[in-house]
Amino acid sequence: MGNGTSIGKVRGLGSAHHGAHHWLVARTTAISNLLLMVWFIVSLVMLSDYSYASVTGWLSQPIAAVPMILLIFSLFYHARLGLQVVIEDYVHESGSKFALLSALNLAAIGGGAFAIFSVARLALTGAA
Amino acid sequence: MLVSILHRATGDGMALVGLGLLVWWLGALASGPAAYETFLWAADSWVGMVVLIGLTWAFFTHMMSGLRHFVLDVGAGYELDTNRMWSIACPIIAIVLTVALWAYILLVKG
Repeated sequence: MGNGTSIGKVRGLGSAHHGAHHWLVARTTAISNLLLMVWFIVSLVMLSDYSYASVTGWLSQPIAAVPMILLIFSLFYHARLGLQVVIEDYVHESGSKFALLSALNLAAIGGGAFAIFSVARLALTGAA
Repeated sequence: MLVSILHRATGDGMALVGLGLLVWWLGALASGPAAYETFLWAADSWVGMVVLIGLTWAFFTHMMSGLRHFVLDVGAGYELDTNRMWSIACPIIAIVLTVALWAYILLVKG
């Protein structure tokens, strides 16, 4: 496989078939980030104060909890895609690349799940 | 080139610092008033304010260069003058939006 030149290393391997999907999902999540972040910033600015009672009172309503959960999903998805490209651009040693991409997936899924669970707890139990 | 570097730098910054802060904020809210007080104490400190204003700037910068990407993706805005104008305008508009938002929060809202 290949003669050591750049093209030789990839010839015959074909496409990974993930590029177009990655590109599209980066853009669909960019649009949802834009809409939901505008909602998020406007909502925060509109709050009368940032006391525990005010913030949990706002966030535990379905009208706030649902877009917040969608925002978390969209942000973590978009961030995972972006950081994946950074890793692929700068880390070329396959072992390190695999380790970093795995760590990225764990952090993105773990962080996103924790954040969504936190909103769900507030919304489902009322202000704690 | 600056717009491209800024897009990636602000994206990375928001992913690492911003999402960390979001998780802390939501986790503190779900944990109860004591944990939220600790979060508020940090957010209200001068370091917290620098981070929050920095994240706001990162968001608007990433948003503006992201919107520019959408225009370029549909095949528009490649004329040299237009392209150059928007590459300069995007980061400037982002700074204006950041200043406007924080001026409203600090001066109008108090």
